[in-house]
Amino acid sequence: MSANKWLATGNFFTTYKQEQRTFLTNLDQSFFTLFLVLLFGWPLLFELSNKSMLVIDNILIAIVAVMGLNLVTGFAGLISIGHAAFVGIGAYTVASFCRTIGDSHIIITHFWPLLIIFSGFMGAIFGAIVGLPALRLKHLYLAIATLSFQMIFQWVINFMSFFNQGQTIFVGRVFWFTGKVGRKDHYVFWYFVILTVVVILGFGIRNLLKTRYGRSLIAVRDNDRAADAMGMNPGLTKVYAFALSGFFAGVAGALHAYLYRGVGFESFTLHESIGYLAMAIVGGLGTLNGCFWGPVAIKFLDLQVESLAELAGQYLPSSMNLATALKPFTFGLVIVLFLMFEPRGIANWWRIAKSYTKKWPFRY
Amino acid sequence: MKNKNVLFLNALLVLAVMFAFTATANAGGKVYKLGMSLAITGPTSDAGNPYAKGTEDYFKFVNETKMLGDDTIDCTIRDDQYKTDITKRNFEEYLDDGIVMYLNYSTGSTLGLKRDFEEEKIAVLPASYHAGNLDDSNYIFLPVASYSEQLVALSEYVVKNHKGEGKAKVAMFIHPSAFGRGPVDDAKKAVAAGLNMEIVEVVEHGKDLDNSAMLKRLMSKDVQYVLSHTVQSPVATMLKDSARLGLTAGSYGEAGKLTFLGVHYTGGNDLIALAGDACKGYVWTCSFNLTSEKNEGTTKQLALAKKYGRDDKAANSHNYAAGIMVAQVATEAIKRAKDAGLEINKENLYKTLNGMNGKNSYSPYTTIGPVTYSETDRAGVDALQIYSVQDGAFKKVGEPIQSEYMTKIK
Repeated sequence: MSANKWLATGNFFTTYKQEQRTFLTNLDQSFFTLFLVLLFGWPLLFELSNKSMLVIDNILIAIVAVMGLNLVTGFAGLISIGHAAFVGIGAYTVASFCRTIGDSHIIITHFWPLLIIFSGFMGAIFGAIVGLPALRLKHLYLAIATLSFQMIFQWVINFMSFFNQGQTIFVGRVFWFTGKVGRKDHYVFWYFVILTVVVILGFGIRNLLKTRYGRSLIAVRDNDRAADAMGMNPGLTKVYAFALSGFFAGVAGALHAYLYRGVGFESFTLHESIGYLAMAIVGGLGTLNGCFWGPVAIKFLDLQVESLAELAGQYLPSSMNLATALKPFTFGLVIVLFLMFEPRGIANWWRIAKSYTKKWPFRY
Repeated sequence: MKNKNVLFLNALLVLAVMFAFTATANAGGKVYKLGMSLAITGPTSDAGNPYAKGTEDYFKFVNETKMLGDDTIDCTIRDDQYKTDITKRNFEEYLDDGIVMYLNYSTGSTLGLKRDFEEEKIAVLPASYHAGNLDDSNYIFLPVASYSEQLVALSEYVVKNHKGEGKAKVAMFIHPSAFGRGPVDDAKKAVAAGLNMEIVEVVEHGKDLDNSAMLKRLMSKDVQYVLSHTVQSPVATMLKDSARLGLTAGSYGEAGKLTFLGVHYTGGNDLIALAGDACKGYVWTCSFNLTSEKNEGTTKQLALAKKYGRDDKAANSHNYAAGIMVAQVATEAIKRAKDAGLEINKENLYKTLNGMNGKNSYSPYTTIGPVTYSETDRAGVDALQIYSVQDGAFKKVGEPIQSEYMTKIK
């Protein structure tokens, strides 16, 4: 690498290790560090309303879930339309503990980080099981297999009394070193927790993609027979892609359970699965930063359309229910427009913007 | 020069008008903030939409007629699309705004936010009459008798009016959710406690477009009465299929035929619009006055709807009446707390609602009986009116009833 560690211009790699660096230049690293400091620091300086914090926390949880979906669908090319069910597995793992030992048990309230990780592993186990058909199935057929998991999940939750037939199962308030996290600090506290999870898992994916396990995901997506011929194990790769995706989803589900202090069936329906898929598509399938753009874009769009539908609901005749149609219509339209005009998602806009600045100051 | 003077006078006039408007808007009065979250769009919005209009209109009326003197009620109404996550977001927003009372809608979100209501110690009036709302809860006040009470009362009505020998054979047609299932357990308890009725089958409906097989199965099991606890559209489908197959009883309890009955959300004008002639003879229980049975209350309801330009569909909806009713209860609580010289806050409104019993009970014009609340009774209107579809409209059948078995099984 050249002597100038601050600018990308004129840089070249002389070893594989250099190419594997997380940050190509010190400038990248500095910007990223500053960005992280800002993300962690702003709630200490500005007080947002609980509602706004809830929206932000919700977006961060969606980011964790979409990271998982992007691993299996974006990087490994295995379509999954039952992702909300995997998120639900994580949430209902926490809920199961609450039902069994009580929602204010020390395991729920004090050992919540372990429970979140455990929920991730439960998601991974279910992910691996659902991933087994991927050994035999591809494309549409695999999509149907994941859809069937979604249906089974919904049926089980909706009918089993252990899961309160889908009605809310309460989760107790957690404790931190400063004591019980009360209502006032609840959303800010979980902002920090979820953001930490996002950063850790984000780096996890970034590093995974630089390993042979990560590269094998992409190789299997591009051509599984060629990957097989190159000595990779496509079957194992597919199953572990599902397992890994399930882990992310499980963690997201557990975070959701703690954030909302309850687990209800309606947060993990097929509609939510389609929502996650839309976030992955709009953000950019097979890109890490797409996992951030997608949830932000879709959730904000949701909020805006909600307000519009609410306004329209007051003026449009209720019998025609046009206001109700507004949200799914906009949602569908955005996905179609992205698929038609920007299939690489918002991540591609980011790539273009970045490549422009990367050449600075020598554009030509 | 003349132009300048005219311009100056115009500016003064505009300022004066603006001042007059702001002055009349709230001349020294206090503003009491309330929040409401409900399904204006999405599932069940056919009920949520008129419900929201009823609440909105009544609060407008309260402010315009100075029912609270110079004080006014500012009730923000937000759509939650029948989703608990969005309801929670709306509720957080209202708390940030400093509401003194909260009006909620669905069963799922009321159950889901129960802990929050307890923590915030805020009185809540939901549109869900699910008995489970009252379990481990001190702050949820059901506007009328619970679904369980309605279903058990309807079962008692079936037993009392059963035509034929032996036990009345009944099937339950319910919504596939906790909302639908909850009251069935209470009906079973009532049977176990001695109610002379046999529950032959409990059917959880799907999104079926045809119920022929189910209806024929019920007939083969000698079922005579079908009690529904769901929403209107599946009931309408069932009624139409039954009429098409010639299975609907010509008169109440006709032997060898099916008599259909249902609780609150299964009936109303929307059912008549959906099922047409097929709903003739349908028996329904509800705690609200209906505009098809004119009285002083319904006249006021229609006048309110007319005042604020609502269409006939909304004006005649029992959901519009239900929306008005919760606004009436909230207003009355504020009025009573104010008259008692109490500060209008969450705590005092909670106390006031709990004191709404005995000679202090409240009779809104929208309901068939008084609203009574206490520390041990959080179901408002206990009386239930049986209605039946005759000549394309719901008509009263007898006097209001109350369940006897609910006290036995509680």
